[in-house]
Amino acid sequence: MNDYVASLIQTTCITMIGVISIFPLTGMTGLFSFGQAAYMAVGAYVSGIAAVKFGLPFWLCLVLGVCVSGVMAVIIGLPTLKLRKDYFALMSLCLGEAVTAVLNKFGAITGGAAGLSNIPKRATMLMIVLSTIAVIAMVGLFKSSRFGRMSLAIKTDELAAKSFGINVFAHKMKVYIFTSMIAGFAGVLYAFYLTYLDPNLFGWTRSSEWVIFLFFGGVNSLTGSVISTIFLTTLPEVLRFASSARIVMYTVMILLVINFMPSGLLGEKEFSIPKIIKFFKNHFHKKSRIGGEG
Amino acid sequence: MLFFVQQFVNGLSRGAVYALIAVGFALIFSVLKFSNFAHGGLISVAAYAGYYFSSKFNFPPVLAVACTALVGGVMGVVLDLIAFRNLRKRNSSNIYYFVSSITCGILFMNILTLMFGTTFYTIKPFFKSPIIHIGDLIMLKMDVAILLISVGLLAALMLLINKTKMGLALRIVSIDRDTAALMGINSNVIITVTFMIAGGLAGISGILLGSNFTIDPFLGNMVVKGFIASVIGGLGSLPGAIMGALLLGVMEVVFTVLVGDILSPAIIFVITLLFLLLRPQGISGQFIAEKA
Repeated sequence: MNDYVASLIQTTCITMIGVISIFPLTGMTGLFSFGQAAYMAVGAYVSGIAAVKFGLPFWLCLVLGVCVSGVMAVIIGLPTLKLRKDYFALMSLCLGEAVTAVLNKFGAITGGAAGLSNIPKRATMLMIVLSTIAVIAMVGLFKSSRFGRMSLAIKTDELAAKSFGINVFAHKMKVYIFTSMIAGFAGVLYAFYLTYLDPNLFGWTRSSEWVIFLFFGGVNSLTGSVISTIFLTTLPEVLRFASSARIVMYTVMILLVINFMPSGLLGEKEFSIPKIIKFFKNHFHKKSRIGGEG
Repeated sequence: MLFFVQQFVNGLSRGAVYALIAVGFALIFSVLKFSNFAHGGLISVAAYAGYYFSSKFNFPPVLAVACTALVGGVMGVVLDLIAFRNLRKRNSSNIYYFVSSITCGILFMNILTLMFGTTFYTIKPFFKSPIIHIGDLIMLKMDVAILLISVGLLAALMLLINKTKMGLALRIVSIDRDTAALMGINSNVIITVTFMIAGGLAGISGILLGSNFTIDPFLGNMVVKGFIASVIGGLGSLPGAIMGALLLGVMEVVFTVLVGDILSPAIIFVITLLFLLLRPQGISGQFIAEKA
């Protein structure tokens, strides 16, 4: 495996963690977050600064990055999650802008627009791939848990969910903290993989890219997000020959999916091993029966 | 003292630019109840069209603005066709409109990048001497023109919406599309006309922004300011959008003077947050409830 393929796999994995970090929020709770990359920035910068300026060991940087993202989610969530859903979307958008502004401003600590460099390279291929699988598994479990079903109830009908005794605000808050910590984790991996950070890596284009990936695969399907991330991040690489036109093709494709397959590529379908076994069993069973009769 | 008055005036002129964007944005929101981020794409397209009309073909300013508005209107209809018509047919939820509009905005800007590259273009100035003096205050003629044009357009729009039969139909469609159809209103035509008007507004903002700043494909990202302004003003309310835009412009200029260019987005974020906490219905007090 050459370096190019390796780097492609690693960036795809990190993007996938990011996309999956908004799945519980947008896909399941119905909150539209447009600034999730801000949490990635926080995770990346906190861990990066801890490593570069204070020389802390990697695991401590990781814990610190993830925890600070969580704390920030509490601070931002307290006022915004009580608002209407579109105001929440707006505030998350502004949050992204505000975080990049702050990172640019305090250049003495963050390196400003010139970026933060010399972060030790600690994230190995194995680690990134394994943690992606772990995150997917975690969110998958989240979806099938009671907690996840509560989220779905809030998404479908907030009033009805409330009348069934779900504390909507507290629940949204928990989901928001959970997803922000995942995004922060993606940020830590990104920092220790790239060894260089720059505020513009985390602008609103990245956040909106994640949302688009999510919708392309199907908002209600975790498998869909995984597949669409793999597809949409490798496609631009395959289309390198038409490099300048590739964003155009990519947006046209997304428009087609949204217009003609509104529930995304996979809709509600999920990948699960028992289902596949059942499918094959039924299939072969039928075949053998036909064979028997003949 | 004069310094602060001058800054206030500068803020108002910046707000006028935002107001133009915010009105087009609020118009679509008031009828279709979603935030149309593709408005930014239309503004970018219109800015390039404006460049061609005024600098390449040497049209006089008024004609150039009118032609650009026309181009914007046509583009608005095209946008409706490719991005929203199908969603309306399927009665998709709001979030799809939102994603579709963002994608469309990115699409327009990237087509422009393909056609023109990322080099900057400038529209030749509309006025020979760009500055007027009012007492000791200095104002750019362009800013005054933009302020006047946005107020004029708003007045025309309010007349259209509140006094004409067409406007009545538009208001009915904005309340309930299906019932409107039962009453014999062709809601698709009304929505197409709404997109045409919003596109025309985007066209005018595009050429005016283009002559105020330089043109690049991502000029339309200014739509975010229009969005913030219309939220401060109360989503979907046209006079609210203008007030919100002026307020935002003044705040931006004041904070740029006080804390510098880089940190002011962060301060604006905090203030918008506090504002929404205290008065979630916006300045105008119109509150469109989310469907339960």
